[in-house]
Amino acid sequence: MHPEQNPLHSETDRLESLRPDPLRRALRSYAASIAATHAAPPASIVWLRAERRSRRLAIERAERPLRIMQVLGLVCAVLAAAWMLRQTGGLHPLPTMGTTMVILAIAMTILVIAGCWTMMHASRRLSS
Amino acid sequence: MTPAGEPGRGILARELELQPAEPMAAPMSELEFQRLYDATAGPILGYLVAVSGRRDVADDLLQETYCRLLARPRKASGLDADATRRYLFRIATNLVRDRWRSGETQSFAEPVEAGQAVDLDASIDIRAMLQHLKTRERQLLWLAYVEGMDHAEIAAATGLTRLSVRMLLYRARNKAKLLLHRGETTHAS
Repeated sequence: MHPEQNPLHSETDRLESLRPDPLRRALRSYAASIAATHAAPPASIVWLRAERRSRRLAIERAERPLRIMQVLGLVCAVLAAAWMLRQTGGLHPLPTMGTTMVILAIAMTILVIAGCWTMMHASRRLSS
Repeated sequence: MTPAGEPGRGILARELELQPAEPMAAPMSELEFQRLYDATAGPILGYLVAVSGRRDVADDLLQETYCRLLARPRKASGLDADATRRYLFRIATNLVRDRWRSGETQSFAEPVEAGQAVDLDASIDIRAMLQHLKTRERQLLWLAYVEGMDHAEIAAATGLTRLSVRMLLYRARNKAKLLLHRGETTHAS
């Protein structure tokens, strides 16, 4: 019979646990001394802490898709700017796009990058 | 329209703040939590003090234990009082292990207040004994001797198998008795 299945096995343990034991007495005395000298903080404090954490997690969950879109917008803007700079670099001159249009496109790209960066920085600062 | 001074705030985030704070997704009301806390906080705190060896760490872990209980309503829902109590010990045990793995030093550096200890000599003996035991050994001894848990309950609280609990508890018990005897002998001489 497996020791775990032997009923006497567990019964022996139970009987042993009932015998006076100096270790048990010492540990319980120590537990009593801890209880006498160290009180737990009030339940209201723990409840408030849990509430604040729950609220913070809910805000983070709600902001997650916004942050993803901000990062994607920044990446797209950087890629677009790099492409346009490459186009105006003389290697592949644009036959139809005038200088004014290129300048406007570059300015818009810079604005988009700056806007995305500002929003991400502000979100991180407010959530920290 | 973004309020002045709050650039980049998400729309959803602002709406969450404007709405009244929703009650926590917890299976219990604040009153029920108060009752549970009053019934279990003392034993959990004693366990954490004994196992971690530091009262400041024990206070922090105690609050974290209940925060985690409230943060997981599905796990805690439907449990009776005993099962909730075991679940709390399980959470506390895991937190102590995580804290130990993160490198938090464990020491019984804080002396027992002489005017408040139930038995100063006994407390010093026990503290000296616990200091020489491993974290796992302290956990097993406390759950078995102070909380009165059987092997199955200890296994549920620590994540070990019953066979492992039996073996480890046996070794821890012998080691603790030897240390306690040495301490008593030292005091007697």
